[in-house]
Amino acid sequence: MSVFLLSIARVAAVAAVASAFGWAASRAACPPGREFRAERAAWAWAIAAALISGLVPASFLAGIEPGWPGLFALGVLAVAVGWWFRVPEPSRPSSTAGAGGTGLAVACGAVVALGIALYLVRALTEPMWSNDYVAIWGLKGKTIHAAGALPRHLFTDPAMAYSHPEYPLGLPFFYAGVAFLTGRWDDHAMALVFPIFQVATLLGLFGWLRRRGASRAVAGLAAATLACFEPLYSAFLTGMAEVPLSLGLLLFGSSLSDAIEEDPGALRRLAFASGLITATKNEGLFFAAAGCLLALAFGGARRWRCALAALPTALVVQAAHVLWRGRVPLRDFDFSSFSVGRLGEALAAAARLPGAVGWTQLALIGVLVAAGARAPESRWMLGLCACGMAAYLLLPVFAIRGPEWLVRAALPRTTAGLAPLAAAAVGARYARR
Amino acid sequence: MAAAGALLALVLIVQPWLELPRRVRVLVRTAPLELARRRLGGSGTAFDREYFVFLESARRRLPAGTLGVGLYGTPGTEPYTYLAGYVFAPRPVHLAPEALPEGWVGALYGAARPPGVRILQDWGAGALAVENR
Repeated sequence: MSVFLLSIARVAAVAAVASAFGWAASRAACPPGREFRAERAAWAWAIAAALISGLVPASFLAGIEPGWPGLFALGVLAVAVGWWFRVPEPSRPSSTAGAGGTGLAVACGAVVALGIALYLVRALTEPMWSNDYVAIWGLKGKTIHAAGALPRHLFTDPAMAYSHPEYPLGLPFFYAGVAFLTGRWDDHAMALVFPIFQVATLLGLFGWLRRRGASRAVAGLAAATLACFEPLYSAFLTGMAEVPLSLGLLLFGSSLSDAIEEDPGALRRLAFASGLITATKNEGLFFAAAGCLLALAFGGARRWRCALAALPTALVVQAAHVLWRGRVPLRDFDFSSFSVGRLGEALAAAARLPGAVGWTQLALIGVLVAAGARAPESRWMLGLCACGMAAYLLLPVFAIRGPEWLVRAALPRTTAGLAPLAAAAVGARYARR
Repeated sequence: MAAAGALLALVLIVQPWLELPRRVRVLVRTAPLELARRRLGGSGTAFDREYFVFLESARRRLPAGTLGVGLYGTPGTEPYTYLAGYVFAPRPVHLAPEALPEGWVGALYGAARPPGVRILQDWGAGALAVENR
């Protein structure tokens, strides 16, 4: 046990140091004060992940090996930026609701702790193993770490096409960064970062709902339900991009809502989250564009500011990828293959997936959405969820291996990644403003 | 609130509770083992554990400076290809290439030893070879 525990301790130390830098740097994104504390912790981890990930390409560009000196340099720079551009205290009064429902809140806290413990056990049972981890995310991370570079064959060798050269490099760089900082490639201990992503997501959700006026009981219920949502926090998804993306999407959605409401620092948060989701997964760029269009269509007086914050960083991240690896087409899709029959096939396959329990859960979410107040914050989240669902349902129509194959292979996990957004959307409808 | 409670209850009920004790036992039992042995006993190699033993044996025997690996004698299906690529990373892996480029090594799964190659290492369940040039 001691060797494994030592490896876990190394990964935890990397996460702790990077998060400390992230916490200090988050002053540029979150206003000071109690109201933001939980969310700020979520942002601290998001910034930490970006620092660990960014360390690798930055070191390669500087011609040095990624390591602690590089992390400290990046961290100090981030802290300086955070101090220099710190967000001022909000001028309007806090909308955080009173304590209310303390007993239920305590029970929800216990369920949240249970959900985190369950995911810890699931994530750490064995080295990360799922198909896409081995074939895509882990393969690239391990290659980058072992080669000490970004080998061209990852993008040019047809025999490696299964690793999806067109996918963004944020997660592989993150894995490589952790490995450089711990001094070894340990794909078992590295799984620890996934429960950390879960905890950051739960803090982000709870903090945002509380700040938006939800009682502790409502925010606690949302967090408890999400913490125990096994389709997202599963052993299978550990190592894949859905869990990090789900945190990014929550931060993006909450920032979009905040930006429309003119919250201090929200435009910066929106721009940062936009880059984060684009660096994590292909559809990150889609969500950034969807957020931009939603802001333009329904953002009122703030529409242009929000739209301009939502998309450009995503485009910069995308451009950096194209510059580094060249233009790589999407591998699994043929966009000339649309037909009504294929659409029907995809929808029918999707309808068969959830089963009785899944449909009951979806119906309960529908009841909660319908019964709640029409909060504007909720609408932004629901809009993003709807855009995501539409894209995830439509994409299989273009799958080269057939709609049913992609629906079965991808839809359960991609839609599970929308769970934090959905939890925020539902919870916001029960906030007292 | 009733719907929210029902949703939480449903999410809790459908947790894979039964697998939990097994996971804890596996974690406790395998944690002292070296990393490759933990992977060997895990889900990612369940499709053919012998194959992972072969890959790991081949990886540990690869000559220094090997630029890539040609893989022979495997079924060539996705799990076999993906696992080989992961184990041999950062070296590229090609499935049964007609000719091995300079600096590449062939990893032969199973007992078959094709003619025209020079065997570098042979451990029964597999071998490393280079082309006779």
